[in-house]
Amino acid sequence: MKKWIVGIAFAAASIADAQTIAIVHAKAYVVPGSPPIANATILIRDGRIGTVAADATPPAGAHVIDAQGKIVTPGLMNSGTELGLVEAGPADTTDHAVTTGTLGAAFDIQYALNPNSTLLPVARADGLTRAVAFPSASGVPPFAGLGAILRLSEGPDILDRPQAAVFATTGGMVSSRVGGSRSAEWILLRMALDEAQRTVASKVEARGDMREHDPLLSRVNIAALLPVVRGKTPLAITAHRESDIRQAIKLADDYKLHIILCGADEAWRAAAALAARKIPVVLNPFDSTPSTFDQIGARLDNVAILQRAGVTISFSVPGVHLSHNAGSIIREGAGIAVANGLPWDQALKALTVNPAKTWGIANHYGTLEAGKDADLVIWSGDPLEPVSTAEVVFVQGKQVSLRTRQTELEQRYSPKHKNDPWPPEYR
Amino acid sequence: MRLRILRILVLAPLFGAGTASLFGQTASKDPASANPYPSTYKPLPRTDTVITDATILDGRGNRIEHGSLILHDGKIVAVGTNLKAPEGAVIIDAKSRWVTPGIVDPHSHVGDFPMPLTADDLKVNDVNEAVDPNSAQVWALHSITAQDPQFSRVRAGGVTTLQVLPGSTNLFGGRGVVLKNVPATTVQRMEFPGARASLKMACGENPKYSYGEKGRSPASLMGNVAGYREAWIAAQQYRRKWDEYDQQKDPKGEPPARDLKLETLAEVLRGDILVHMHCYRADEMAIMLDVAKEFGFKITAFHHAVEAYKIADLLAENGVCAAVWPDWWGYKMEAYDAIRANAGYLEAAGACVMLHSDFAVDAERLTVDAATAMGAARRAGLDIGEELAIKWVTLNPAKALGLDDRIGSLEAGKNADVVVWSGNPFSVYTKADQVFIDGALVYDRHDPHRRPQSDFEVGQPASGVRP
Repeated sequence: MKKWIVGIAFAAASIADAQTIAIVHAKAYVVPGSPPIANATILIRDGRIGTVAADATPPAGAHVIDAQGKIVTPGLMNSGTELGLVEAGPADTTDHAVTTGTLGAAFDIQYALNPNSTLLPVARADGLTRAVAFPSASGVPPFAGLGAILRLSEGPDILDRPQAAVFATTGGMVSSRVGGSRSAEWILLRMALDEAQRTVASKVEARGDMREHDPLLSRVNIAALLPVVRGKTPLAITAHRESDIRQAIKLADDYKLHIILCGADEAWRAAAALAARKIPVVLNPFDSTPSTFDQIGARLDNVAILQRAGVTISFSVPGVHLSHNAGSIIREGAGIAVANGLPWDQALKALTVNPAKTWGIANHYGTLEAGKDADLVIWSGDPLEPVSTAEVVFVQGKQVSLRTRQTELEQRYSPKHKNDPWPPEYR
Repeated sequence: MRLRILRILVLAPLFGAGTASLFGQTASKDPASANPYPSTYKPLPRTDTVITDATILDGRGNRIEHGSLILHDGKIVAVGTNLKAPEGAVIIDAKSRWVTPGIVDPHSHVGDFPMPLTADDLKVNDVNEAVDPNSAQVWALHSITAQDPQFSRVRAGGVTTLQVLPGSTNLFGGRGVVLKNVPATTVQRMEFPGARASLKMACGENPKYSYGEKGRSPASLMGNVAGYREAWIAAQQYRRKWDEYDQQKDPKGEPPARDLKLETLAEVLRGDILVHMHCYRADEMAIMLDVAKEFGFKITAFHHAVEAYKIADLLAENGVCAAVWPDWWGYKMEAYDAIRANAGYLEAAGACVMLHSDFAVDAERLTVDAATAMGAARRAGLDIGEELAIKWVTLNPAKALGLDDRIGSLEAGKNADVVVWSGNPFSVYTKADQVFIDGALVYDRHDPHRRPQSDFEVGQPASGVRP
């Protein structure tokens, strides 16, 4: 089995880009949420999905990969990571955050993305092919800045969509940054949005006389909010407590914003209001504990309750695994959500089409329908089970290597070298 | 938000291990040998119980299909097939369910890093006495918030025994405590009777950065080692003084002055306290093995032993256990070389390996962590089944706590700490249905009266009225 996979990897490397690739005998979840196509043949050409059909014979000359009846899904997407922005601990910079200076809503992480980060191969090997990279703090709270959508392809270009959303963080534990009260967070958000609305109404983009002495209302930070008040770019608000969630909803109503709610441990308490406004929610399915007073209502079936109410849900898991295990942790998290009432097919949606819609890339990613970028994974078993693994991963039509720093170290220190008198450094 | 907690918990140094509970063997008349805070644990009300028709993983490497288990008077009296149920026993039909020993978490901060965190906890918290690199005088026992809501969360994950340790800011974090995971209003009622005391020590980045940034020693890895050695030299002198005093036939005169710090370290030198040491890197672990030899003590286990796989043979030779995570990596430099096959490689080398949580959220599903580690081991070419991997969360941690004569496996004579799982515990979809401690049903997923909640959670509108 292992040899077979390695064989594919070498074969794929020698294939010209234009060649058709046919994945045969797949249990293909073409449109997550709908039943799979058994014994499917998936054609990939020019980086895109061609046709997917049951029992189809691959065209002559196609490079054929036999999925042996295994599950094939679209590549997965994580709705909140610092991929491309972090390496080991603080390393040399904290590219995901600034804590001083005048950049607020305009702080934009896209210029720091590192396609050679060792985290990216690990994420790919766990079946992740798209991810949100978000800023965690700016010099002008409660704004954190502009996040981007990543395409986890090999090579220098991993930016799928820059400036996908403006991020803001609210709640008790971060209120010290605005003087101590969460009221201040909402007032500051409203002041900035008011200024952006006035700018739009005055039809003079980026007025030169804007209050440059106040970073919140500075020209550059207000300019970043113009697409937000025009409804073109979402405002992604992190909030856990029900009162903050309802303030976020009110903000969306008052300013006619497109918002995305992140964190949201108590969102189940406002499920109907969120569903009615079609506000997508990014959740951590592991949260079960009142970790702070903002999270008293945390519960494992938050995900299932929101989905049942009709809310579009997807996942991000803060903590040690946020970026370093960005693929495996949302798979396990989805499994936990299923263990607590979320239907399995809805979990697969939350890993693919839902984040695609939430973050505005559904036109080219999220399903295996014809014309979409060919991001797909052949799984050894149920992708939500931690014992399962991604066996073959395609990003935009190219099969990617599943080797990581970790697998290289595993080979170097394998017990099979037990009697080798030379140090591992020679392997 | 969680990231800030993360920074407290991980990036800022917090982890460590600590010491365990209270009765050291009484090797001397040194007052340190007495336990002034003795366990008042009493088993909760229990009924004789027979669990039938289960897939049993016994924690000793065996798997019994359609097996039965008889619990009598708080002990396991029989494990096998075709057992006859004693009269009057409650029978639990575990058809298509799985049964394992109670899960043992050798590295927990439940209770000494209680939830919810408040803004004050971001500055100062109960898990680290973060004012001096040597806080061997403190006991995690004295930091336990018995009403921490995390106890019930990890109980629902099958955790029946946990070692709560001080954090890893300090070279010597203090003593840890072994608790039985029963709801209780005082920590003494949770203390595992007769469990050996332990000392939490820490290598690496946490002590170095915590004190180096304040312009104090240790400010480097070599400063860490100097800090250990200076303390052990003082402990040797202290021990000698007390031994000389104790050896007098009829002790006269004033006994030597007591020093709580040195008392803990002297007990380690006497072999009465087990050392649990936070240590990520292989080179640092190897140095610590030599420090232990230099001063004549034993390190029971390295915790967070991310690079243990690089010295698996050395750990096996020295009989030192390694407590690991399945996949944590990269959140700081000393975690950069983690591999997912770590547990598997240690097992293959014959070393004692166990999984630990550190964060309570991992203790809610340590068997799923075991599944992650088992899957990685298999992919690396090792033949490791569930019946073996379950040891990583049961018998091996019991061994590291010095309690493997009482817990950690399902065999006649051992405490009836048992989990009945809804299915294969290595599946993410599986839940603990019933959890027994000393034969008492302390948790039942299907019975609201057996799902205890902490006082903190009572009367909270935010968690009430579920749709």
